Amino acid sequence: MSEPILHPASYRDPDGFIFFKDGILFRQVNQSYAANYQLLIGSGLYDVLVQRNLMVRHKVIEENYTGSTDWFLTLKPEVVPFISFPYEWSFDMLKDAALLTLELNKTAINHGMILKDATGFNVQFQGGSPVFIDTLSFEAYDEHLPWKAYRQFCESFLFPLYIAHFQHLDINCILSAQTEGIPVHATAKLLPFKTRFSLGVWMHVYLQNWVGSRSVNETTKSQFSKKKLLQLTENLADIISGLKYENKKPGWGSYYESTILSNAYLHEKEIALSEVLTKCSGGTVLDAGANDGYFSMMLAKQFELVIAADFDSLCVNNMYRRVKDQRINNIIPLRIDMVNPSPAIGFANKERACFTERIKVDVLVALALIHHLVLGKNVPLIMVAGYFSQLAPQLVIEFIPESDEKVQQLLKHKSNLNNRYNQHDFEIAFGSYFSIEGKYQLTDSKRIIYMMKRIVQ
Amino acid sequence: MLAMLLYVDPGSGSYLVQMIIAAILGVLFYFKSAWHRVKAFFSNRSQKDKKNSSVNDIDNV
Repeated sequence: MSEPILHPASYRDPDGFIFFKDGILFRQVNQSYAANYQLLIGSGLYDVLVQRNLMVRHKVIEENYTGSTDWFLTLKPEVVPFISFPYEWSFDMLKDAALLTLELNKTAINHGMILKDATGFNVQFQGGSPVFIDTLSFEAYDEHLPWKAYRQFCESFLFPLYIAHFQHLDINCILSAQTEGIPVHATAKLLPFKTRFSLGVWMHVYLQNWVGSRSVNETTKSQFSKKKLLQLTENLADIISGLKYENKKPGWGSYYESTILSNAYLHEKEIALSEVLTKCSGGTVLDAGANDGYFSMMLAKQFELVIAADFDSLCVNNMYRRVKDQRINNIIPLRIDMVNPSPAIGFANKERACFTERIKVDVLVALALIHHLVLGKNVPLIMVAGYFSQLAPQLVIEFIPESDEKVQQLLKHKSNLNNRYNQHDFEIAFGSYFSIEGKYQLTDSKRIIYMMKRIVQ
Repeated sequence: MLAMLLYVDPGSGSYLVQMIIAAILGVLFYFKSAWHRVKAFFSNRSQKDKKNSSVNDIDNV
């Protein structure tokens, strides 16, 4: 039996923390949360939330694994298949996480409890549905007080969604830098002038910014009520439901629908891919450069879990909508740039692990991606091969030949990269890290799908 | 102690802004429900009129 290891992100809440013991995840509930825990269970709130699949289930373990003196209970929570962060989600994912948080708050208020914090880091995705993971976020509700986590909710959810909605901006990079959310004063500056005439924006952004910049004595007991709080929660949910993301810049949103080659190419690629996949083993796959998830859907039939990553936030959003509409529960769409994946951030650079550390999969699928990395981003083939070998022991990769129309487009202004990219060098570079197990030539497009296995070094 | 209990800082003015927003929403809600009552009153009346007229129609037949 090994010593418990505290999770590096679980230090904020004095009511408990999560830790690993022998590789298993547990949550300790401290004495300070005892009354709230009993209320969570006794009020029926826990049962309602887990029955509606809004929150993860847990098992109670009456054993003090950490040996701490303020131990009250140990919980063994249901583990979500993959941990992702708000700065990796698409607009609709952040929106659904926000609506889940408000629904939890409303349900909690009706059970005599309230959310004491409201951050996207308390939500995870299981396919097309968000689920709440922080069991200790609920506390007894005092009807005379407004919502303690209102500002945090605005900064974590409402403001980024407002900025994406009104300015048509990708919010991932902003959220990656501002992990605690976007402050109200920054939001007020980033939103366009016309938003001053929207009542919702005026109340939640401009009024909050104006009031926040004045010193207010908050120790006086304010006269709030349950009715007022439910109206506020309802108002936030109405506003968020009406927000949408439409990126005006040309992107990859309809790559397969409008730009890609012929149906014959897609059909041939599907057949080749299904043949290659019979040689792959394991349950998890990363579809890097997944676009709108056309091939991720195919992968989802064979693998237990598909992480479908793309750098275009509009593509990822479209993919999420499809996954949600079709109720596919084993694809997690994420906005990841393969040449700049999410870094390790937070306290001591350990709080939120980097993407490379989290993504431990059995197979990496990289279709029509290599030419973008080598020619679009100037990453040498050997470096791509080295990085891919860190991600998975099996690799399915599509090589796009130099003669291909798409490669020629990329080379148009980068003729100096011409000698960096050809099939021979590709095989040499990847051969340093992988053994080539199979090669499938697509007749129409001359593209080649390789199946490779990592060489144990 | 208070600082420990409020481990999420509600932020200066956050309570006040919620009170103002709640007051605005309360007024809006009042007018909305009053408007619904007015609409319901007239739609009931017109439905009654319709019913009456259809009854009259039947009578006429």
